[in-house]
Amino acid sequence: MVLRKLAFTGIKSRIKDYTVLFFGLVISSAIFYMFEALATNQDFIKANGSMVTGASFIFQFGSILLTIISLVYIFYANSFLMSMRRHDYGLFMMLGAKQRKIGQLILTETLLIGTLASLIGIVVGWLLTATLGNYLMDQMFSSKLKGFEPFFLPAAVATLALYVILFLIAGVINRFGLTKTPVLQLLKGDSEPNRPTLKKGRQLIQVVLGVALLAIGYYVMANMKLLVLMSIPVALVTIVLGTYFLFNAVFVWLVVMLKRLPWASKGLHTFTLSQLSFRIRNYTRILSIVSILFALALGAITVGIGFQRQITSMATAQSAYTLVLSDPSATVKQEVKKLDRQLTAQYDQVVTKKAVYFNADQFKNQPFESVSQESQIMNQAKAGRLQAAKYQKISVDKMQKNPQQLLLNLPNWQRSKAIRIVSGNRFSRLSGSQHKVLMLRVADLSKSQAQLKVVSEKATGQAASSLPGTFAMFTEATALFGGFEFMGFFLGIAFLAMLASCLMFKILSGAASDKRRYEMLNKIGTRPQILRRSIIQEVGVLFALPGILGVIDVLFGLQMFRGLLLSPYDQLWLPFTLFLFLYIIYYVITVMMYQRIVVPKVKIDK
Amino acid sequence: MMTTPIVSVKNIRKTYGKAGEKQYEALKGIDFDVQPGEFVGIMGASGSGKTTLLNILATLDRPTSGTVTVNQRELTTLAGNQMADFRATQVGFIFQDFNLLENLTNYENIALPLSLQNVSAKAAEPEVNRIAKQLSIEAILDKYPSEISGGQKQRIAAARALVSHPAILFGDEPTGALDSNSAKDLLEMLTTVNQEQHVPVLLVTHDPFSASYCQRILFIKDGVIGTELKRGNQDRRAFYQTILDTLGTFQ
Repeated sequence: MVLRKLAFTGIKSRIKDYTVLFFGLVISSAIFYMFEALATNQDFIKANGSMVTGASFIFQFGSILLTIISLVYIFYANSFLMSMRRHDYGLFMMLGAKQRKIGQLILTETLLIGTLASLIGIVVGWLLTATLGNYLMDQMFSSKLKGFEPFFLPAAVATLALYVILFLIAGVINRFGLTKTPVLQLLKGDSEPNRPTLKKGRQLIQVVLGVALLAIGYYVMANMKLLVLMSIPVALVTIVLGTYFLFNAVFVWLVVMLKRLPWASKGLHTFTLSQLSFRIRNYTRILSIVSILFALALGAITVGIGFQRQITSMATAQSAYTLVLSDPSATVKQEVKKLDRQLTAQYDQVVTKKAVYFNADQFKNQPFESVSQESQIMNQAKAGRLQAAKYQKISVDKMQKNPQQLLLNLPNWQRSKAIRIVSGNRFSRLSGSQHKVLMLRVADLSKSQAQLKVVSEKATGQAASSLPGTFAMFTEATALFGGFEFMGFFLGIAFLAMLASCLMFKILSGAASDKRRYEMLNKIGTRPQILRRSIIQEVGVLFALPGILGVIDVLFGLQMFRGLLLSPYDQLWLPFTLFLFLYIIYYVITVMMYQRIVVPKVKIDK
Repeated sequence: MMTTPIVSVKNIRKTYGKAGEKQYEALKGIDFDVQPGEFVGIMGASGSGKTTLLNILATLDRPTSGTVTVNQRELTTLAGNQMADFRATQVGFIFQDFNLLENLTNYENIALPLSLQNVSAKAAEPEVNRIAKQLSIEAILDKYPSEISGGQKQRIAAARALVSHPAILFGDEPTGALDSNSAKDLLEMLTTVNQEQHVPVLLVTHDPFSASYCQRILFIKDGVIGTELKRGNQDRRAFYQTILDTLGTFQ
């Protein structure tokens, strides 16, 4: 059939653009699959109940958010697709193709691309889950979680179903949108004027309203006690609206102001600024959405990393010793030797019915250590900085005055007894059962955790450490917060991939209609490199604006986690850098694609 | 008296299609000169190669062989950026579909070539106002292209082409999208510019009425120049008749 043949040649001629679109869809569905593979796998969630506390709620919340973003994403990807095909469809209609036929063609094309992309996406997602998912778990828990299946059929079905349905909706919308548009408009494309007017009164109201709404949102987040759980939806709504108003009002005003500067008349700056104001009306909505998504994604990663760092800090500030072994056997000692130790001390004990006795002379030779005042967890939280804990040596005098500080470093069965520290002479004359305690501290808790596990298993015969010392605390906290971190990372990267792709396709779908403008500029003698620079600046602003607002949102949003995190603002640079790095990659890809579409190539044969 | 021609085209050929594939020769050896201050027309039917010729003259395309010199610059040796700079400083271009940027005001459209040459806004303002006064478009400077008529758009386009004092003005069917009154206005305006400022004009058209404003017309057919017609002392109406007669026999 002629029409179908025409449609396929249309696709063939723009194969590169289709490849990017297809690639984006594959990544999107792969991420969705990865998420579903975890969220819908009840075996996995149940088996790791203690590990992923509250995970069920977070997974559901994340799942809903991801669905919404996928919808937005497909919508923009689709409008990019349509912007490439508009002219072709217009041509077919002019040639006399019936509207119904065109409608069928659109629907078939959209569905075909959608189904194919989600099928490949599921396979990619499966591979990603098997590699990346396992890697992340290895990094965080130093073991695989039970019930974790890279290929999970219900997740695959859910992904495919959702994508096919979303594409069906998109296809129907396209069909009606396109077949209702007059043929001439399809052929000529949109070149409606957009006069950036300054209506001072309205603009002022928008600014005031925007700032007020943002302030409410930030206030609610900072004072969670006021509305408790309701504060999240309230903050979301107020911040989204506030962002939208602020973008709407300030941006146009900013462009008009910039145009008055002498800078504006240099090179293509007038054009770049006009391009921005020309588009900003279309862009305020997506920029607001993107800035919120940006905040959510960055927030998720920041909080996730915050929890992870907190684990070590909290554990090491608990005690100066990682493990305390009571009467270690030869095999246990063998394993202890493999540890990278910072401090090892062995003390003799005499245990009677009522008391545990230590030899003061041994504390002279191997001083007991405790967590320094500044490193106490409460003081660290007050200072707002989490650091590796510092330790101090305790003199024998002080030990004898306050022997109770040994309590937490004693085996469980000794804890109900009184602790006495006596002179060497007295100690040797005591009668009671003789024991030894080996106290050790490793240089790096997370690096040594595998070997610590071996030691503690050999000493107790149990998998989970019940031994005194920071290691037990570390394992418990890892179980508690590791789930949070895993989710934070996962959600963060998924959100980022989706939002940056949305922005990318929104910008690229404008490229087709921009092509003519860049051709004109080329004809009147604009150097290609100046055209490229203009694109770098224009796309840069469109990426930077939601980014900046998103960062501000996160800085305020972290207030919500004051209850859960000791110091949410500690070492923010780490997640921010990681996130910006990924974001910039998207920016560079968008610029390159945009340039490829619009910058005219010099016709040089041979 | 011998003067250095402003445009000098020597035996240019243009072949489309790669070697070994089916090739099409659009230009088969074209030679002509344009003298300073001349108003020259190039006529020909669709597919005769006149747009290819104009694209080559404007460095939007390159000839397969032959040389083109515009204002003493050899075009075939120019590199990418030099070609862009050449278009920006040496050539004024008026297109059939105006090619105005609809997201810029008319003023900004006219000032664009100046800002591309990094002329400051202060220095650009008297230049834009001068050309606007000359073309009587002062009243519409603050409007956007979509808010004015086709004839006005073409005046804005002409102002943009002339604002940077080009060595030559190229017109690619500039009256093609205009009604007859606007077309007449534009052609009279081009004639005034040509006579008062001595800007040479090269007009590509298939419309005999537009061509009747030229002093000399080159007829191009199947990639070669067939006939040349000079207006001499004829008035415009008589020249129009001559063009119609020539077209009748030429085609």
